[in-house]
Amino acid sequence: MTYDEETLMAYADGELDAASRAEIAAAIEQDPELAGRVAKHRALRTEVAGALSSVIDQSVPERLRAAARGPLSAAPPAPEARPRGNVVQFPSRGSHAPGAPWRAREWTAMAASLVLGGLIGWHFMARSTGDVTSRGGALVARGELAEALDKQLASDQANDASVRIGLSFKSKDGSYCRSFVSRASSAAGLACRKDSDWQLAFTEAIDPEAGGVRQAASELSPSLLKAVEARMAGDTLDANGERTARDAAWQ
Amino acid sequence: MTSASEEIGERIVELLPRLRRFARSLSRNQHDADDLVQSVVERAWRNLAQLKPGASLHSWMFGIMKNAWIDDRRARGRRGEVALPDDSGDHPAVNPTDMNANLWSVSEAMDKLPEEQRLAIALVLVEGMSYKEASDVLEIPMGTLTSRLARGRAALAAALGET
Repeated sequence: MTYDEETLMAYADGELDAASRAEIAAAIEQDPELAGRVAKHRALRTEVAGALSSVIDQSVPERLRAAARGPLSAAPPAPEARPRGNVVQFPSRGSHAPGAPWRAREWTAMAASLVLGGLIGWHFMARSTGDVTSRGGALVARGELAEALDKQLASDQANDASVRIGLSFKSKDGSYCRSFVSRASSAAGLACRKDSDWQLAFTEAIDPEAGGVRQAASELSPSLLKAVEARMAGDTLDANGERTARDAAWQ
Repeated sequence: MTSASEEIGERIVELLPRLRRFARSLSRNQHDADDLVQSVVERAWRNLAQLKPGASLHSWMFGIMKNAWIDDRRARGRRGEVALPDDSGDHPAVNPTDMNANLWSVSEAMDKLPEEQRLAIALVLVEGMSYKEASDVLEIPMGTLTSRLARGRAALAAALGET
């Protein structure tokens, strides 16, 4: 029995009905040449799909997200006005159903222009404010920053708060971590609970001139996002989870 | 802004990564692909009334992209323009990190295919659509889709040295 290429292709693509599928499966058992032709169809499919798959994971340019939200949506700044590019504004808290968790996927879509990637920001913090100290070889939050990490809820914070909390989540070692932006320190980062301290797992300088620290609370730079993803176990805390964890002193 | 259009907006935002991938299958560089996506999204909003209740937003927008891409090719042809190649080092929008060798060679090979074969390959092999879904998007009979797909595959395999 001979099969034409279209039939073998359809078989490789899973497009044949059950009877034809069974027939060809049996024929392949008997005929290595036939098996080879089917394998080539599958290999080509894998190669082509694999080559293009990386596009899915790339961050989506802001101009496309703005266009996707439609002509009536509140127009974000034109991309020309934000030459740093690739800024993706996180949807405001208000656009979520009450208590809906911030999904990791949403954060993953983000890249921030406000953040000067790669700069370690802690010395900015240490220099300009009393936000950071060193304890047992680790940098820990203190002062206003520690206070905000202890008490402030992302679901209930002033827009002009000096420290803005981003997302809170449970890390793989079971401790709580919270991302933050500190206006006074011009820094953003990630702090994780260690005993009664907040250890700074990651910090970086942000540029307060680039649009204000307030927006930065809802954006994660790629490097901060990486730090979050490396630690996060499961989902981010929703408003209730955040409140419960705070009331238990993040233990 | 009504919540209904907000919801459509969010659904379109969710489709953006797939729209970009489909566009990237059709264009050899990401800059052109993103321009295509933008024009598709704008067309979709202008023609939202044509989206039938219960119809798939995904398929509908892929259909718009097919039309937009073909229109764009015709217009470029009339102006005698040639699309920038994928490896154009001086193109500001070409990101060196996505220059993986596979993407480059597959893009090159796809670019040599006739339009209708490239569309069939993009929808079935890259987007993972069934033959039925793909033929609906392209508005062609299944048999036509199947033969375009088979011819496109043979040409791709030859170009990629897998004959």
